[in-house]
Amino acid sequence: MNYTFDFSSIAIGPLLDGLFVTIQLTLAANVIGIVAGFVLALLLMSPFAIVRVPFMLFVEFFRCTPAIIQVVWFFYCVPMLLDVFLDPLMMGILALGLNLTAFNAEAYRASIQGVPREQRDAGIALGLNPLQRIRYIILPTAFRESIPVLLTNGIGIFQQSALVAIVAIQDLMYEGKTLATATYRPIETFTVVALIYFAVSFPVSQVVGLIERRRALAAA
Amino acid sequence: MVASSPLVKMQSLHKSYGDGAVQVLKGIDIEMKPGERLVVIGPSGGGKSTLLRVMMGLEQIDSGSITFAGQPYVSSASREKKTLIDTEVRRSIGMVFQHYTLFPHLNILQNLVLAPRKVRNEPKASAEARALSLLERFGLAAKARAYPAQLSGGQKQRVAIARALMLDPKLMLFDEVTSALDPELVSEVEHVIMQLADQDMPMMIVTHDMWFAKNIASRVIFCAGGVVVEDGPPEQVLGSPREERTREFIERVFHIKQ
Ligand SMILES: Nc1ncnc2c1ncn2[C@@H]1O[C@H](COP(=O)(O)OP(=O)(O)O)[C@@H](O)[C@H]1O
Ligand SMILES: [Mg+2]
Repeated sequence: MNYTFDFSSIAIGPLLDGLFVTIQLTLAANVIGIVAGFVLALLLMSPFAIVRVPFMLFVEFFRCTPAIIQVVWFFYCVPMLLDVFLDPLMMGILALGLNLTAFNAEAYRASIQGVPREQRDAGIALGLNPLQRIRYIILPTAFRESIPVLLTNGIGIFQQSALVAIVAIQDLMYEGKTLATATYRPIETFTVVALIYFAVSFPVSQVVGLIERRRALAAA
Repeated sequence: MVASSPLVKMQSLHKSYGDGAVQVLKGIDIEMKPGERLVVIGPSGGGKSTLLRVMMGLEQIDSGSITFAGQPYVSSASREKKTLIDTEVRRSIGMVFQHYTLFPHLNILQNLVLAPRKVRNEPKASAEARALSLLERFGLAAKARAYPAQLSGGQKQRVAIARALMLDPKLMLFDEVTSALDPELVSEVEHVIMQLADQDMPMMIVTHDMWFAKNIASRVIFCAGGVVVEDGPPEQVLGSPREERTREFIERVFHIKQ
């Protein structure tokens, strides 16, 4: 291989503009995913099948289709079906936010159901009624337990958000493609783009690792 | 209440798990007078935890009844019917479990004040003052703001006891509360239970520690195979048991200790 790298034509400015859009997408999708995911988790655990089943299908739809299809479908089909036309960035946020909602709901559900039975017993022995046990014991314990998974899902959406470039949202990936075409330097451009994604994701993934190691120590 | 009227009266308690597949309690009758300290011993799997859990109102039963201080508390006519548990009566009973069961997201002080605040609507200041004085008494004042994960097993178990006491129980249940502890931490927990005994707190204790049983019991019950095999003063049941099965068990337990 005798390729000579030349980074001189890679303008960082547009890439940082793109990163800014990507971060907006990620943060907004995470707000949706963290809040709506929690509500969805409660619905998934409803004792009534008529409530539970439609929401289970909702979750399975997102788990069993490629994210890229979800984005495209959302972008082209929803406006036509519902006759609503939102700003592209809003559409991107909704598509990613709903995807994250489905995955976070599963994380919440698993940790709510994973709260040890002893915690419920302790709550009864202390005279707390069922609602108080859910409100003051089960949900807070479960929320803490689910934090590493929420962070992992959240940073996953940061990476998945690159998919919205195909529907012309001017995120980091989109700016990267534009720059690559304009400079005829795709290798250098995508190297820089990859490094930017990495620089944001890596610290978060380290934090997740740290939390998990501390948990393992506390449990020992 | 007449002095001799029972605090607890269990009548013909039957309990099974798995839709009647496993019979665990096969007709338990126990009367407990106020101020008594009942120690329940017996082989593993004999139904001791189940008995305490039924007493705490944590389990459905097949049939039988319990009254507490003369009040109907737990009753069931048949396994198909829902067990009736009076939650008001249940609030006068406290329980400490083998595995601490502190709330991990709350600090020690918050663990103690949660129930008094929510169950009784006690003002924060008053609940915290009572909590701090209990922690002081149990040598845990310095840990008020610590989280459960930062405590040793013995400390956690003392906090669990203090937390139960916050509701001024009329009866305390202890299910093998030292079994999960390292040997050097056992005595600090037993010491706290002894303190309660000195204040005439009625209690039911399940333990494998025969030394502790001898020291704290006013009465010992040997429970095996879901029935009460022997019931009497500690000198009798632990010292010179009348039943062959009790004797075998006691010999085995003391033998293991040596
Ligand atoms: N939740 C449960 N479901 C099914 N079986 C159980 C349950 N809890 C206890 N058992 C069974 O009931 C029997 C008595 O258990 P337990 O009351 O814990 O006895 P002990 O405390 O004397 O060791 C055991 O055979 C145990 O396996
Ligand atoms: Mg047991």
